[in-house]
Amino acid sequence: MGMMLILLLTIPAAASALIGFSRKRETIEWIHAIASVLSFIAAAVIAVTIWMGQEVIQWQLLRADALSVFFAAIITFVGAVTGVYAVGYMRLDESDPARIRIFFALFQLFVFTMLLAVTTDNLGLMWVAIEGTTLATVFLVTFHDSETALQAAYKYLMISSVGIAMAFMGTVLMYYAAAARVGEIGLSWTSLIGVAAQLDPSVVKLAFVFILIGYGTKAGLAPMHTWLPDTYSEAPAPVSALMSGALSTVGMYALIRFKSVIDITLGTAYTSTWLMRFGLLSLGIAAAFLVSQRNYKRMLAYSSVEHTGIVALGLGFGGYWGTVGALLHILNHSLSKSMLFILSGSIRLKYRTTEIRGVRGLLGTSPWTGAAFLCGVVALLGLPPFGLFISEFMVFRAGFEAGAPGYAVAGIAFLALAFAGMLAGINAMLYGKPAGDLDRSDPLMWHIAPVALNVVLLAGLGLTFPNGVRAFFDQVLLIVGVSH
Amino acid sequence: MAFARIANFLSFIFLLMTFLLIIRNSLAAQVRMFAMQSAVLTALAGVVAYFGGRGELAGVAVVFAIVKVIVIPSVLNRAVSKIGMQRAVAPYLGTSMSMFICALLVVLAFYVMAPVTSSNPLPTADGIPLAFAGVLIGLFTTVNRRRALTQILGFLILENSVFMVALLATYGVPLIVELGVFLDVLVAVLILEVFVYRIKDNFDSIDVKKMGALRG
Repeated sequence: MGMMLILLLTIPAAASALIGFSRKRETIEWIHAIASVLSFIAAAVIAVTIWMGQEVIQWQLLRADALSVFFAAIITFVGAVTGVYAVGYMRLDESDPARIRIFFALFQLFVFTMLLAVTTDNLGLMWVAIEGTTLATVFLVTFHDSETALQAAYKYLMISSVGIAMAFMGTVLMYYAAAARVGEIGLSWTSLIGVAAQLDPSVVKLAFVFILIGYGTKAGLAPMHTWLPDTYSEAPAPVSALMSGALSTVGMYALIRFKSVIDITLGTAYTSTWLMRFGLLSLGIAAAFLVSQRNYKRMLAYSSVEHTGIVALGLGFGGYWGTVGALLHILNHSLSKSMLFILSGSIRLKYRTTEIRGVRGLLGTSPWTGAAFLCGVVALLGLPPFGLFISEFMVFRAGFEAGAPGYAVAGIAFLALAFAGMLAGINAMLYGKPAGDLDRSDPLMWHIAPVALNVVLLAGLGLTFPNGVRAFFDQVLLIVGVSH
Repeated sequence: MAFARIANFLSFIFLLMTFLLIIRNSLAAQVRMFAMQSAVLTALAGVVAYFGGRGELAGVAVVFAIVKVIVIPSVLNRAVSKIGMQRAVAPYLGTSMSMFICALLVVLAFYVMAPVTSSNPLPTADGIPLAFAGVLIGLFTTVNRRRALTQILGFLILENSVFMVALLATYGVPLIVELGVFLDVLVAVLILEVFVYRIKDNFDSIDVKKMGALRG
């Protein structure tokens, strides 16, 4: 099965290289679309293998367990949906062929770096891959080549690089703590977890602070989130969708990996306290910016900060429901946010603006896009019958159970504030009369089929929690050290 | 303990270079200080390779010398001469105030790194707080400076300092990680260089403070 893991990484890497050498636009599009879908199939095969009972798949530095495949599946699914959409979206772009080629090559390279980050056993290599995600995305963000995009990309690169340097400091400290016990392989997660109980607690505490700040920057935790609204709002829609749906989860993955080791050394109280603080702060800051937001892409971006906060709260509350809630919330958020960013691209094509003020009567002017947008927003706001309702419920319930009612109550209050703020903006966009004379048609139909898939999955996660899924989460919980 | 003494001395020189980089206000001199700081780091890698018996670190030292002493400084120098700006614009906080804060950061570094230094059996342990001070100063410098190019220098100090801590505390991280990090940093600097040009073209200034269009 090691072959499967190699294949998973080879698909996007090879696609990126092939696209780089291709000249014809049609060839590029086919390679890109096929690779995007194949990556997902490969990840699904690995996920099923692990679900069927093979705990670990390993080959040299590569290693996949239930936690890895959970994230690999999210990354490749969002990658497939946005990848297919990107083909249609880029056809409307009149850039010269060389730029189109670079766009698709970097897109695949981006997917590759994310997959490498979640399927390597070596925490140092994971760092290298996560820094790689930043480098691969910079020119995707500036693709529209406007002044504001340039500013956003510079800010993104600078803040992410400095943030991730903090994570490297934390990684070095963990290595220092472990190298004394196990030597050279001290950066392998498997060997780290084996010696976790004997590590020096004061060094590990220090390491966690650096790791939380570093990977928290990547995940979009406040106050390190400042790059995120600019970047998500300036990047082309497929790129924002992939970044919000997949990249932020990679930051969370890194945090969860380290947390699983550190909790053995220190007990859960230490990491929990920090995660709850940062989580609540993220929720609060996001809510404040959501109340008066005038730009719908920035609104979606701040909502990402909000949901990252909920995930951090869930991990902080811990226990069975807190952790399962956090993991489910990561999945739900990825599904809903990626589809909303995809749709935001179509809205922008229709109305030629990203200001909420400029978008009126969306349900009337583009019925399919509008209806899908409505579904996505209802899901994102945490309303039934969609999955976010369930996962938010799990997280806050865990807060009361874990004896942190203060955090839970404050979190729910911020959630309500964010809800009200977003609802006002979204409501104005969906109904009313458009300012100009717009014909009744959807600007793009490419995305409707893949996006419908997101809606079905979100509804499924909201209405059911099948035994099979539950069993899979039990496997994940075993890895992160949460007992039933 | 010649090894301990040499390592301490190099850590001290490393921190000195960091301070000099903050004081100098000609961009070319700042780049030169960075190159010298990298040279100190290379020397330390060589020393650890020799005394600590870590043969592979000699290879790392060579890569280090090529990437950080030669390639990155020359990339930065090219940027400095191309954008035609010799003097660094004053940071948010002036030189004397910055020096004061950096001195406080050195004290803080000793406090924060106490658990690492005290438990460390290696002869190089005493230099760790000095190197870690570089991490804090690099972070402060990145935040404190306005020009894109000088922010990049702050980031590079930070990066060098983390490597310095790794060398002193654990004789470096595993080879594959070390090489991966080099590659990332090199690519990051090359991308940032492109940005320096394009920001200059677009705004006729690389003053980050003037990039105010994105708010809220």
